[in-house]
Parts: sequence; structure tokens; C-alpha cells
Amino acid sequence: MLWLVLVGLSASTAQAADWELDLDARLVSSDGRQSFTDGGLGTLRYDQGQSGVRLGRARFALSQSLGEVWSLRLDASSWGDRDRNPIDLTEAYLLFRPYPRAGYRFRLKAGAFHSPISLENRAAGWESPYTLSYSAINTWLGEELRTLGVEGQLDWLGTRTGHRFDVGLTGGVFGWNDGAGTVIANRGFALDDRQTTLLGRVGATDSGPLAPIEVFREIDGRPGYYAGLEAKYFDRLVVRFMHYDNRGDPDALDNPSAEFAWETRFNAAGVRAESGSGWTAIVQWLEGETYIEPGGEDLEWPFDARFALLSKQMGNQRLSIRYDSFRVRSGSPDGSDAEEGHAWTAAYVYEPDAHWRFTLEWLRVDSDVTNRALELGEARFARETQLQLAVRYALGSLAR
Amino acid sequence: MRPSARSGLLEFPAYALAAVLCSSLLSAVPVRAATIAVTVQAADGQPLPGAVVSVHTLASAARSGVPVQAVMDQVNRAFQPDLLVVPVGSTVEFPNSDSVSHQIYSFSPAKRFQLPLYRGKPYPPVRFDQVGVVTLGCNIHDSMLAYVVVTDAPYFGRTDATGSWSSEVPKGTYKVTVWHPRMQEIAEVERELSIGEGDRASLTLHLDKPLQPASIEGAHHSWDAY
Repeated sequence: MLWLVLVGLSASTAQAADWELDLDARLVSSDGRQSFTDGGLGTLRYDQGQSGVRLGRARFALSQSLGEVWSLRLDASSWGDRDRNPIDLTEAYLLFRPYPRAGYRFRLKAGAFHSPISLENRAAGWESPYTLSYSAINTWLGEELRTLGVEGQLDWLGTRTGHRFDVGLTGGVFGWNDGAGTVIANRGFALDDRQTTLLGRVGATDSGPLAPIEVFREIDGRPGYYAGLEAKYFDRLVVRFMHYDNRGDPDALDNPSAEFAWETRFNAAGVRAESGSGWTAIVQWLEGETYIEPGGEDLEWPFDARFALLSKQMGNQRLSIRYDSFRVRSGSPDGSDAEEGHAWTAAYVYEPDAHWRFTLEWLRVDSDVTNRALELGEARFARETQLQLAVRYALGSLAR
Repeated sequence: MRPSARSGLLEFPAYALAAVLCSSLLSAVPVRAATIAVTVQAADGQPLPGAVVSVHTLASAARSGVPVQAVMDQVNRAFQPDLLVVPVGSTVEFPNSDSVSHQIYSFSPAKRFQLPLYRGKPYPPVRFDQVGVVTLGCNIHDSMLAYVVVTDAPYFGRTDATGSWSSEVPKGTYKVTVWHPRMQEIAEVERELSIGEGDRASLTLHLDKPLQPASIEGAHHSWDAY
């Protein structure tokens, strides 16, 4: 409703509005366990029962300028599964973007948006241009984390003032992320491209046996923060580091839902190198812990994950390969909620023009999840393989 | 030409011949222009195309270039061209033929300005009154980069695919300088020379340090908002 009003205003005041509409359809073949999107403990987006033609993502994005240096950004998607709302926002924020001065550039975001951790999710809508499914690290970030708050970023534009480096500092303060850690502790890592929406949940509405998980909620009234550093060598090398702490009060209990606030902290680092001949290499690493104290009992789940991706661009085609490994260590005395696994992903992307994108992706995950045996009576170990052919059509001024 | 009081048969024809020769020289045969030919080489010895060569006057009849009205467009989230060399006092128009809005800016000392460019709304050209290199960016699209080189040199241009550039100049004393947006030289790359009428001076200017890496082609303009 709000954006309709703003678009109306923009038409009357002749302010710029840029938009994009994407439709991504998939042909899927999967032998996966019952997907986490459907109440199971499979690590893939689509399970054995979901092979066939699927909606990958229908997306609408809007960038509406409000004056010269303020703009409103909206990103809404429908994911083709039975979430609480058929279409919902993944990001909605105000962006303050004053002109750079004296070699410095400042940006401020207020609202709901992704924080700058991933070196893989570079494309519009926080998509990866290299593969369909994100790495284990970035899948988790897209599922459980979103900044609902304020973020400031200050960049020193050395490469525009005769130097060889750009350096940036980022800081964010947020709330409504006390659920972050629930998915990691209950299910563990997964590899998919299903971002949780602002009013949505992880897991479809009527799914079972595992109930859908609500991640974007404020329980303890305490804001969290993150602080990050980025250094770039021209457009050839990017190094990022981020420390995140949602400062959840593990004693705090949300009365109506009887959900605890999860205290989740992690450090993340990454490097992306690109050559003039079309090679890209990305390495990311993440290590942290999440804990709650139900009834005074101290339960902690340390988790860590890493991946390495290698990609080659050849004209309007791209070939990528990625290796992931991930682990959640058990916080429970009975050894439940532990997960360990690794995955291989290979993807071919063909973009004949600005509108069409064709992707063929093969993904294999080997994972050992203790809860499969303890809660579902299934074998702990699973080898899940998924093949996807995605056809995406984009139109609008943002799609070029 | 008055004959002298004691003009003889020999003197009168000599004056007449001199007058005829002088007048014919002035009207039909021009002063022969000199040529400066410059070749620019990168650190690896290969010819460097696209380098900006400027010939500054130290002692000659040449004058600064006449200001021009140049155009730098925005197409497909990039400046086109991404380097302009203009005489001081010139204007540059930024028409924005792209499908999205742009906000051009520069914080270079030679010209600080901010210019929002909304689709379909023309803006007056920007005047560049100071000599220097102006680095342009876009406030919306962080990867956009271009240069306007504002010069008071009477002769200037960019080297071709063979790394060469040349110009006819009047006789005189000049300083030739070379600039490239990606050069990392510590000192100015320049040469002074005096050149006489009808002469041809060939210079090779060599960069000591390799160029900075060029921008990666194929990077999508819609990337890296995160």
C-alpha cells in the first residue's frame, strides 16, 4: 500500500523510480530427504517428492528516489511454497546517500536489509550470479539473519584519489533478530536459495513433523550490533571481516509463544579475487555460537562453516564449482542437534541478453544430522542430490 | 621604389627584382610548419594506445586551444566516452541516455560539482575552468568512472593503436607531457624540445612502472549493492 502511494507521488513530482520484475521457473530432479521447507530435516530446498516444474522465485523490486540523496528500496518475492504470505518483502529500507566528498563516501540504511557479509550474493535480490543454491554460510545468513535497524558505512575511496586501495567500515544496530540461532540449533546448515521474508517463517505453514520457525522477532528488548571492515585492491581483490552479536538475553522468554531469545554471536571473514581474464575465486569462513538458558540450564551450540568457489566467465557463459563444509556441535546432553556435512555444487549459467538467464545446477550434500534419528526415526546420514534447470526472465529499468 | 639620384642601369632592376621576390614569397609560399611525432611505450615496451599527449608552449607563437562543447553520455551504467580531453573553458554536456537515473559528481580540486541526471530531463552543460584532471563518479552506481582532462596546451590528443600521435606546430620551444589514467609514475613523464621551421621531431616517451589493473569487463552493473 505504501509503495503505491509513493509511486503515485513520484509520478506527480517526476522523481525517478526504477523497478524490476523477475520470474524464475525451475525444472527440478531431487532425491533429497523431506525438505526443511516441508517440516523435515533434509538439507536441500526440494526433496524427492518435489521433483518437477516449480516456481523458483517471482520477484518485484523498486528503487524510488525521495529527493536527491534519499531513496526507498523495496524487494518482494513469492517463493512457490506455502509460507504465511504468498508474497512478502525480503528487504524494505530507506537509503541515505550523500555525494562523496574529499575522497570519502558515507551511506546510511534504515529498515530491513541484508548486512554486507556475503561475497557470493552479489546480484540483485541478494542472488548469487555463480550458482542457484547459496553456500551453507550464506544460506543460513539468508534464512536467519536480516538487519532490522540502522547501518552506517564509511568508505575511503583511495582508488579515486591516486591510491591502490579502498577501505570501508560498517556498523549496524538492530532488533527483531532474537530468533537467529533457532534454525542452526534445531536443523543445522542447509544449501538453498530460499531467503526468509520479513513476515515469513522457515518452513511452510502446515509442514510437519517439524514446525515452521519464526526468526524475525524481538523478545528481550535488547538491540544487537555488528561491525565490519572491508578492503579492496581496485576491483580485483576484496577482503571482508564482520563480527555479529545479536545480544540476545538467553533468559528472556516470550510469553505468548514460549519462545526463548537466542544469544547468537559469530565472526565471519571472506576473500574474493577476480582476474582480468574472467576467473573468480571466493573463500568464506564463519564461526560462532548460539545459546539459550531454558530454566537456568545453559545450552550452547557452537557452529562453523566454510566454502571455496571457483568460477570462469567465458563471454556470456559461466561455469562454477564450489565445495562447502559445515558443522554444528551439540549443546544438548543427549547429543541431539548436532550436524556435520559437506557439499559439492557445480553450475553452468548462460545469459544471452539482459533479460534471460538459464542456469543448470548440480548439488550433492553429504550430511550427518543426529536429529534425523532422534526425532524422525530416519537414518542419520544422508547423501542428497539435486539437479535444477532454471529459466529466469527479467524486465524493468533495473534489469537494463 | 624610387630610383636613387644616381640610379644606374644595374641598381634599378635589383630593387625591382627584390620587391617582386618579397611580394611573391609573402603571398604564395607559407612558412613551413614543424611536426612533433610522439610514441608512448608502456613499461613492458609495448605501444600504449589511449595515452593523452599534451604539447605546452614554452616559447612559440602557438596559443591555447579554443574552448569546445563536448559530450559525455551515460549508457548501460557507464560513461561514454570514459575520457575526454578538452581545452580550459570548455563545457561538457551529460545527456544520460541510460534507462536509469545517474548522479554525476567529482571531488577533484580542478572541478568539484554534483549533477543529478533524471531520465528525460535535460541539464545545462558543466563548464571546466581550471586546468587539471577531473575524476568523475556516479553517486548511485559505485563502479562508474570517467575522466575529463582540462588542458591549456595548444596541441593535444590521444595515442592511437600503435601508441603514436603527431601534430604540426609552429617553430618554437615546447614541453611534451604524457598522462594515462592508470599510470603509476612517480614523476611527470615529459620532454622539452626546440623545433625549427620545417623540422620533424620524433620522441619516444617510456613509462617506467606498469599500469594499474584495468577495470574488469563483464562485471554486471547491477551487482554489488551488498
